Amino acid sequence: MAPLVGFGLALVLLVGTRGLDAVAREGQLGPGFWPRLVLVGLGVACLLKAVGEWRAGRAPEPAAAPGAIDRARLAMGIALIVLYVLVTPWAGFAVTTVAFIAAFMTLAGARSPVSIGANAVLGTVVLLYAFVKVVYLPLPKGEGGFEALTLLVYRALRIF
Amino acid sequence: MTETLVHLAAGLVAALQPLNLGMIVLGLVIGILAGALPGITMVNSIVLVLPFTYLMGIVPSLLLMVGVYCGGVFGGSITGILFNIPGDPMNVPTTWEGYRMSRRGETRYALGLAIMSSAVGGLASALFLAFFAPPFAKFALGFSSVEFFAVVVFGLASVSVLGHSSMTAALISLFAGMFLGTIGTETQYGVERFTFGVPFLRTGVDFVTVLIGLFAIGEVLEQMVLRRPAEPVERPATAVPRLPLLALWPLRGPLARGTAIGIAIGGLAGAGATVSSFVSYGLEKQFSRRPDLFGTGHAPGLVASEASVNGSTGGAMIHLLTLGIPGSAATAVMLGAFLIHGIQPGPLLFTNQTREVYTIIAGMILANVLMIALGFIAALCFATLMKVPAPILNTFIVVFCFLGAFALRNDLADVWLTMLFGVLGFVMRRYGLPVPPLVMGVILGPMAEAYFLTSMVSSGNDLTVFLTRPVSAVVLAASVALVVWPLLRGRRSV
Repeated sequence: MAPLVGFGLALVLLVGTRGLDAVAREGQLGPGFWPRLVLVGLGVACLLKAVGEWRAGRAPEPAAAPGAIDRARLAMGIALIVLYVLVTPWAGFAVTTVAFIAAFMTLAGARSPVSIGANAVLGTVVLLYAFVKVVYLPLPKGEGGFEALTLLVYRALRIF
Repeated sequence: MTETLVHLAAGLVAALQPLNLGMIVLGLVIGILAGALPGITMVNSIVLVLPFTYLMGIVPSLLLMVGVYCGGVFGGSITGILFNIPGDPMNVPTTWEGYRMSRRGETRYALGLAIMSSAVGGLASALFLAFFAPPFAKFALGFSSVEFFAVVVFGLASVSVLGHSSMTAALISLFAGMFLGTIGTETQYGVERFTFGVPFLRTGVDFVTVLIGLFAIGEVLEQMVLRRPAEPVERPATAVPRLPLLALWPLRGPLARGTAIGIAIGGLAGAGATVSSFVSYGLEKQFSRRPDLFGTGHAPGLVASEASVNGSTGGAMIHLLTLGIPGSAATAVMLGAFLIHGIQPGPLLFTNQTREVYTIIAGMILANVLMIALGFIAALCFATLMKVPAPILNTFIVVFCFLGAFALRNDLADVWLTMLFGVLGFVMRRYGLPVPPLVMGVILGPMAEAYFLTSMVSSGNDLTVFLTRPVSAVVLAASVALVVWPLLRGRRSV
């Protein structure tokens, strides 16, 4: 089933390349040539895979899946990562990272509150100092009250 | 020959002056650290040190940059071996073998092999630069986009040695990667392709986001959600890297081939370390009597790719010093340093600035020798992180991936892409789709397109140009053989 989905996707994208060559100069290959070549390759590979699976008469075995997975933990892990990126512009890197480290460590199996708290706070401080003070990376400061809080932290760390 | 030896000896004496030696060491430290951090590439670090060279003389400036260059191409292999996070695309093949070795409890051996083969490759290329630079530059100057396209196709063809079970699965992954490489604004006509109106896609998908996401985030998710480990992770009692001087002797074949490929491909202006590492890895598997062991933590694969990465440094310098043409992005920045100091690299450089040139070459030799010690210390520092409990380590890997992706363009969009590719990497692993071909597609696909279109424009859309030029024809024939040979031997399922 999955190879056929891939084949369909390649086909749809291939149709999407139709208008790309409108700007091409007379007698020269346009900007749509290479993507078309790649998508044809992708489609053929997907088709070959689908035929191979059909001929073998079985569903694709999850050969690379080496063991059973904890689906709930996977969902929570992905949700935490998504939340981390989603909330950062609003709450700022400093605040969000402290919360993320604490939450992700707990999810990953850490149990000691002291270890979790120390890693979250000290880890964030070290990262802020290294990346904002030393490397001049303009990490998101957040909005409103969070921005004020981030600036307070920066001043305390003598980053500003 | 004697004259060259005399110049080299004088250059060595000059390079050993405290200021010059200090610059080499400083450059190596910066390079190794920057190379090890995903998101901060070796080229970035050379650019970052450029402003500091304004007040220096030309020799200390260039030695600082040479140090960063040599250290930077090696640094990424440390985090690749330890954490499955290659610092630069050129360190990807090393990661494939090194991380597996590390998981098997051979961390010290893998790190030691990486350090030693990098040093040997770099040293050989520096000596080649000293003795054969002018004639090689003349030979390589005859190469055009046609030959470069053939070399990149050879790199892409080595995908046939990357998919460990199914050729079609590897091809799906490769073409998907090549498609990702077409996203963004096309360079020849300025047309947007597959951006779907999303502004940040106009500049394309940065391969670093793919690299960090697929390898690092995918691995963290995999480790976190497995109910029982897929394979026992053996932690060495001590993480001190072992420098396997004697162990290198049985690996002399991969070492020599990797070095030779590195010098040859590095010497082609524009090809660079990434192409050479993929090509040498692919060739090594073809040469191997046990190709089935590649991808499972096989030392020859690691040695060949590491030697070729550092071997390419001397090759890239040939063009810069003899012709004034930068052979890579790193040497392009070095050209800037030359020009800042009022020196125009080119054919007359070896005659007019003999002392400076040979000091720089001697500096490269010294840098590769010193890299053994500094690489050892750096590996030791990073290896201590292996003792950190998995929940802490995995959490900080995610945070570092955030920072690495954000540092690319100071844009959270790159972070989103990284996380997206992380989930994709996890899904691909679960469904038996090999990840390395996708990475190769993203990195080499745009190069192949650029060289192909340039060849077509220059030849009036004559496809036979790839077959009428001897070097291109031979390399393309070798590419076909690379794909067909495993199928004929019946080792692989289609």
